[in-house]
Amino acid sequence: MFTVIRSKEAVLQALASTVNRDPTASDYRFQDDPYLTPKTSSEFKLFSLSQESGRNAAKYFISTYPKYFQKDYAQPHIPCLMPETLEAQIEEVSEAALIERIQMRKVKAAVDLYDQLQQAGTPVSLDVTNQLLDLICFYGDCDPAQENVPEQRNEETEDVQDEPQTKKGRASKASDKLKAAWKENNNAERIFALLSEPNTHSYSALIRGMVKYGAYSKAFSTYTDLLNNQLKADVSTFNALITAAPEVKEKYNEKWELIVDLLKQMAEQKVKPNLLTLNAVLKALRRCGTVGKSQAFPVISEMRALSIDPSLASYNHLLSIFYKPGAPFQGQTDILQEVMNEVSGKSFTPQDPDDAQFFITAVRICLDTKDIEQAYRVHELLGVGENWRLLGNDFQQNIYHARFFSLLCMMENIDVVLKWYRDLVPSVYYPSSNVMRDLLQALDTDNRLDLIPQIWKDLKQLGHGNRQTLVEELLTLMAREKQNQEVQETFAECALDIKKMYDTGDRGKVMMSWTAGSLSDLVSVLLAAQRRQDAWEILKLFKTHNRVPSEELLDKFLTCIKESGDVNQALELVQISAGFCLPGTPKLIQRVQQEFLLSEQQKSMLSDLEIQTFNSD
Amino acid sequence: MYRRLLININQVRNRLIHTHNTRLTLPSTKCKERESFAPVASTSLSEDKGKTPEETEVNAEVNTDGQRNTEMNEGTEISNATLTSQLETEPVVKPEDRKQVEKTKSGKESLLELLGAMKVEVTTVRKIRPSKTPRMSERPDQEPMESTHSMFQRATAEGSQQHGTLNPELVAAVSAAASTLPNRHQAESELLKQLRKHEAIPDTQRRADIGHIISDMKVGKRPNGRSNVRPTSQIRFDDDGKGYTQDRGITSELDGVRRRKSPFTSKRLNLFAAAAEQDALSDLGPTLWDIDLANQIVQATNQMPRNGFEEMIQWTKEGRLWQYPINNEAGLEEEASVPFHEHVFLEKHLDESFPQQGPVRHFMELVITGLAKNHHLTVQQKKEHIDWFRDYFRQKEDVLKEAEAYLN
Repeated sequence: MFTVIRSKEAVLQALASTVNRDPTASDYRFQDDPYLTPKTSSEFKLFSLSQESGRNAAKYFISTYPKYFQKDYAQPHIPCLMPETLEAQIEEVSEAALIERIQMRKVKAAVDLYDQLQQAGTPVSLDVTNQLLDLICFYGDCDPAQENVPEQRNEETEDVQDEPQTKKGRASKASDKLKAAWKENNNAERIFALLSEPNTHSYSALIRGMVKYGAYSKAFSTYTDLLNNQLKADVSTFNALITAAPEVKEKYNEKWELIVDLLKQMAEQKVKPNLLTLNAVLKALRRCGTVGKSQAFPVISEMRALSIDPSLASYNHLLSIFYKPGAPFQGQTDILQEVMNEVSGKSFTPQDPDDAQFFITAVRICLDTKDIEQAYRVHELLGVGENWRLLGNDFQQNIYHARFFSLLCMMENIDVVLKWYRDLVPSVYYPSSNVMRDLLQALDTDNRLDLIPQIWKDLKQLGHGNRQTLVEELLTLMAREKQNQEVQETFAECALDIKKMYDTGDRGKVMMSWTAGSLSDLVSVLLAAQRRQDAWEILKLFKTHNRVPSEELLDKFLTCIKESGDVNQALELVQISAGFCLPGTPKLIQRVQQEFLLSEQQKSMLSDLEIQTFNSD
Repeated sequence: MYRRLLININQVRNRLIHTHNTRLTLPSTKCKERESFAPVASTSLSEDKGKTPEETEVNAEVNTDGQRNTEMNEGTEISNATLTSQLETEPVVKPEDRKQVEKTKSGKESLLELLGAMKVEVTTVRKIRPSKTPRMSERPDQEPMESTHSMFQRATAEGSQQHGTLNPELVAAVSAAASTLPNRHQAESELLKQLRKHEAIPDTQRRADIGHIISDMKVGKRPNGRSNVRPTSQIRFDDDGKGYTQDRGITSELDGVRRRKSPFTSKRLNLFAAAAEQDALSDLGPTLWDIDLANQIVQATNQMPRNGFEEMIQWTKEGRLWQYPINNEAGLEEEASVPFHEHVFLEKHLDESFPQQGPVRHFMELVITGLAKNHHLTVQQKKEHIDWFRDYFRQKEDVLKEAEAYLN
């Protein structure tokens, strides 16, 4: 009887909600080809970028040669698969042609056409002129760069990309921030001056453009102009001006007074603020020092009273106001708690580009304040609804997980840490070597060194097998204490595996070099596992790598030899020691003489050695 | 007053079963407890018991629903407290005991069973809806429980002179119950003492009361009171053996203080009038700035699909995928407004310019029959098809006339 009209995605959404994350699987985008499942973070970057760049390359060819891609197989027609028209279709000088150029975002062509129209005396309607102003102000009177900015913006390994695209993408990015500035008397100002009766929209376009391209004081004078013309500003103008407010004043309270002044004028002109106003004010308050701390909450209350609910960006600004990175925390820990009380269990939709900063900021504060409980709440919030989308791109995800996991390593007992480790690594997170060191420390504090061989396997897979400091730390941990027999056995296997890592140095990767410390750790591990023969091999490496073993190590070795009663090896050990001219050699000789049953020949050899060392002293 | 007691008893019986079950699985490691970010209200009862008071406190402070957590705490207290009362009145409830005590009245047994079943419902109601009334002293209807309590005293006074022998099954039940408590021996002996005292209540009195209970059973459904009631003189035990549990009031009170102080409820700037109406500005659809904002948001957030369905959603949004639910008329929205007879009855297009009879007419009739059955073409295309023939025959009119095929 009654059919419920659902969106066309409803069925799929219902199905998608039944799928949970599989901690043993890699990211969905890599599941097509198991061979390309990334195991390290660099592989992850490379694979995801190459997928994206492949897409961009295809798009580039379709856009460049549209005539080869005209066949429309699909029925019903699929617009997004067809090449976009990049050339203007209307050649004549008319308003329609101007509109077309505005829609195609061709700034220069649109301005030229406008001038032609003006010269021909053809009137252009105010709406179209305003659109033109929007276009010019938005791009700062420059033609926009071609729009195929890669999906991944955290690129260090972007060299796989097409050369021309990368350059364009990069250049536009940099110029947006640095080079492009509002030029005096540019086309926007010129066209604006030509308008006989500019309206709110015209002013709005101009002011926003000025704020976007750094002409802050000019924006304010244009605003005064607007007021003089008996016009009202719109909400986006105010938002832009609030963003600009901290730039034009020096002192904290002056900045704040200017913002309050703008808000009052909004109220006078009956302009209803929106979420972006709230976020702009809070963002400006980040630069108002102590004023920010006192005024942030009243601002939020004010907006609440106008039924504007803060988004995650608002909370992000709030946290940034109260927790400056690197600054000491004076009893502000409960601000985070208050914020978490507010947001817990809520599902947020993206409303502001800054929304994606919240999780990173929150987890940073948790890490700084060592507040594991709040960190759990932050992580829990991430699982609510579509909030995971707000974690941002891969780079931000990585930062988030690194901070979260470091905090876990610091605060939690090892079982919990390992549970999270199994959950996060490597399906969503590829830990860096620093984080792995944190994990090793956590293992150490909780006395679960027996897990080291397991961690070593992961380390190798994560591509940290050739991080010298990390590997040395691993060896030291294994060598430090005597474990039970079973564990020692696995340690020995692991140590030999590590030794292979030193030997091979595979495929152009940085070779690790043996140090005296790592060698003696290795020997100790092997000795503890009663692998005298392997240890003996390692002992020889001291010589080949020009490292000097310590006396304790040789002493330990001798004890081990004594257990098996191998006299010849004991003598060789003494000879090695003498070869290094160690000061402890006489003691070793003495021990051998006392503790072993020696033949005459061996006795004489020892006494020869004794004399030699005596003489060399 | 017995009614209330009975409710309590059933509640406790339920809880006891519950605690027993969870007790078995209780060796949940520290890790397990910590991973439960959101304490699940219904099951954390026994877990809370397993915790040290410090831990519970920490949890209560930290969790969003710390309120609820403290309630759970209290729930344990009650289960401890009412444990005694259950055992005191055991004969009334426990089926085996009932048989012995009330041999004569077997009819009441079924009634009691009915009663028990109903009361279980009552308790579940309470469990699902944890009460919001914070303190016992604030509640206006606190006297029922107090009267229950005074009833205890009266009952003990009555029965103190009789030292009847206890049913061995009862003793076993007592020791089982006591074993769930930390201070096992003390609890057991206490329970048994209470039990002995209570044995003495005469059967008749009970029966009368039961009849009374059944008559106004509905009153027992009080959804919000039970959890906050706490007998004042009852000793509350906790697992660490310190004897007394910490007063649950402290944490909840602190919580309350904190909540009141929340900076999010601070006073506003009072710059805007709440009902400020926005002047209706000319809306020309999304401007370039709006599109850019949307674009920035998309760029800032993670739009990568996490599974096949999400990818399909993306494709659907881009228009690349056939929409679900599958509709074989997708993309034919324009055709939907064309009635079928336009497709099928095409004779009207033949009227004007074609001969009324003869081979051309015959041919065209065949053409429109074919077209009428063709579902690949739109009506417009069919018309064009016919128009093509019209032009063709007009061009060949001379030839056709010569062949006497064109009759008009």
